[in-house]
Amino acid sequence: LSIYLSLSLSLSLSLSLIYIIRTLHSPRKFDCRSREKETFSCWWEPGSDGGLPTEYRLFYTQERLREVRECPDYVSAGANSCFFDKKHTSIWAEYTMTVVATNALGNASEEFRITDVMEYVKPDPPVNVTVVVNSSAPSPFLEIRWKSPPDVDVRTGWVTLKYELRVKQNDNIGSETFFNFYNVYPGLLYMVQVRCKLDHGKWSEWSNTIFAEIPKNHQLEKYFWIFVFVFSLVPFLMAMYIVLLKRNAVKQCLLPPVPGPKIKGLNAHLLKSGRSEDVVNALMGNQNFPPVAAWTEQVEDFLLVSDSDEWLLTDSFASEKNKDIFIIPAGLHLGLEIQRRDLSVDLNTWEKTDDSKEEAKSNFSNMEPINLPVEKHEFLNGEEKSIQPLASTSYVDIQQHPTLTDYSRVKEVNDNTILILNEEEIPHGLDAEEVKSEVSVPDDYSRVKEVNSDVVFLEKGDSADGCCKKKEDHYTDWTNQKPIMPLESELSKGFCLKMIASGYVDSGPAFSVK
Amino acid sequence: ALCSRLSSIRAASSCTNGQTGCHFLSLANLFDRVIQHSARMHGISNDLHSEFELYFLPSKNQIGRVSRNCHTSTILTPNGKENAQRIAREELTEVILKLLVAWREPLWHFHQNMAQHREFNNFSSNKSLEMSEMVHELRRGVQKVVEKMQMLGVINSSLGNLGSPEALLASDRAEWRLMNDYDLLYCFRRDSNKIQNYLKILKCRIVPEHGC
Repeated sequence: LSIYLSLSLSLSLSLSLIYIIRTLHSPRKFDCRSREKETFSCWWEPGSDGGLPTEYRLFYTQERLREVRECPDYVSAGANSCFFDKKHTSIWAEYTMTVVATNALGNASEEFRITDVMEYVKPDPPVNVTVVVNSSAPSPFLEIRWKSPPDVDVRTGWVTLKYELRVKQNDNIGSETFFNFYNVYPGLLYMVQVRCKLDHGKWSEWSNTIFAEIPKNHQLEKYFWIFVFVFSLVPFLMAMYIVLLKRNAVKQCLLPPVPGPKIKGLNAHLLKSGRSEDVVNALMGNQNFPPVAAWTEQVEDFLLVSDSDEWLLTDSFASEKNKDIFIIPAGLHLGLEIQRRDLSVDLNTWEKTDDSKEEAKSNFSNMEPINLPVEKHEFLNGEEKSIQPLASTSYVDIQQHPTLTDYSRVKEVNDNTILILNEEEIPHGLDAEEVKSEVSVPDDYSRVKEVNSDVVFLEKGDSADGCCKKKEDHYTDWTNQKPIMPLESELSKGFCLKMIASGYVDSGPAFSVK
Repeated sequence: ALCSRLSSIRAASSCTNGQTGCHFLSLANLFDRVIQHSARMHGISNDLHSEFELYFLPSKNQIGRVSRNCHTSTILTPNGKENAQRIAREELTEVILKLLVAWREPLWHFHQNMAQHREFNNFSSNKSLEMSEMVHELRRGVQKVVEKMQMLGVINSSLGNLGSPEALLASDRAEWRLMNDYDLLYCFRRDSNKIQNYLKILKCRIVPEHGC
């Protein structure tokens, strides 16, 4: 008995287990779509059907029709669908759909309501989208064309198709089938898509993407660079012209002439070799000195130069009274005879004007190397001395301010030294005061501006252009000046004369170039 | 643009008296104007409906919506393209006018309600006013078109009583008061779409050469 009972229990249990699992659910999720406002389709999603083959049927009623109709076409729109053709489609009308699922387990149904097919209108995207780059002036643009979706009837006025374009931005452009897009830039790539909407239905999907590239406007670039070139050329040409006009001045500024020793017969190599005899021979050459007797006949006088009341030179040269002080240009022509002269100069005031000094200095550099024959001398300081013209003399009288003094006329000058030429006028560079206070100077004389132990500044007649800016500090201060006995002088860019304190060069290296 | 259209329609009406300086409008031209007008009206109704849905019905459930009864349901309208093309011109014209007449009062009252309610912003209030005025103007415009068509012999003059279409709808006057605001907007959107469609079909049947 117990065995029978247990057997029946297990059997009933297994049987009941089998039947619990299977149930049939009604279809869910109902959706419809109309492509052209003339037909429409609806789809449903089947519920769980217990694994059994299930049949689905759709029944519908319209708001005006009392009768219930069945779906005319289950096939055209795919599985679990119903397709309503033109005959069975009523726009603006309400549909009540009932989907019934039937299988071995029974029936299950669900009701769906469509208030208006218009709400499900969604067309296909436009077709034949073409994009052409139109490169006409004034600026290129994209010419975009397309066609309406194939099923939609636009000829009878039944539908109003509106298009929307996006070229990296949305442009709603209405019902035309073309659009000119102007917001483009050369060199960029653009993507174009079109979609459409039927009446107040839904937008279709976007059509395929069309690409278009705007070519670079080389012409514009070319014009631009030509323009830039011309504009930069004009100031350049002007600068060149100005430089050309003032090339001398520019040359003065940029490439001030560096004096090199240009002594006739003197060779740089010779100096380097260091043999003093050779140097002396080279320097002195064929010097014909006047006989000693001739020298002693004359009174030895000093040539004193000062720019102040102090006679510094007298102190320094007191011991060397017998020595003559000559002004010798830097480029000494050894073929010259040096003649002593009686000079007593009262050098009181030598005015210095920086600018005029500069100008005077600059004159010096412009002179070409020439010999210095002094043709005649005139008298100075009331002393009547006849000075014999020498074949070449290279000194100059120092003018005393303010009295009239005689001047020697030096015709030629070496390239490093100045001097004076015949038709020189009163220096322009002088201050007004200076000009007025001084007696008018004959034309062909220069004027010594300033002298110190090292240097004598001579004013040249014409105002010079130049930019000798260098101001030798030690020239301006007499008190500090030390006369340098062994003829040490400093070449200041060849603008200034050298005064050789001890007289003419007769022994050893007369001067050194610093 | 709307104002110019309205004034041009008014100008069209004054021209029929034969005044000097009037521009003679062709039938196609008239049709274009009323179609533009109806398109704009439909656009506004769509905007208002969407706005209403946005503010007052956040949970949008299309499938399970309660059925609506529009007060114009009694007017028989062609519900398909073939039907609209097969129906007689006079009948189609009559349907259009009936619809336009039926909506004049309800829209006016709708605008009055909107003006009082603070929840609607100025945008909606202006649109409802524009909508109610447009329905009125469009009806007059369509009447002008009908007169022109009758003059040209396009349609026969059997629609003499269209001058006062209110007579046709005398019995239906009270029905629209049963609709709530949302249903009213929904129904008018549907009907304005019908009006636009029928006008276009009519134009393409009568003067098809001017772009259909």
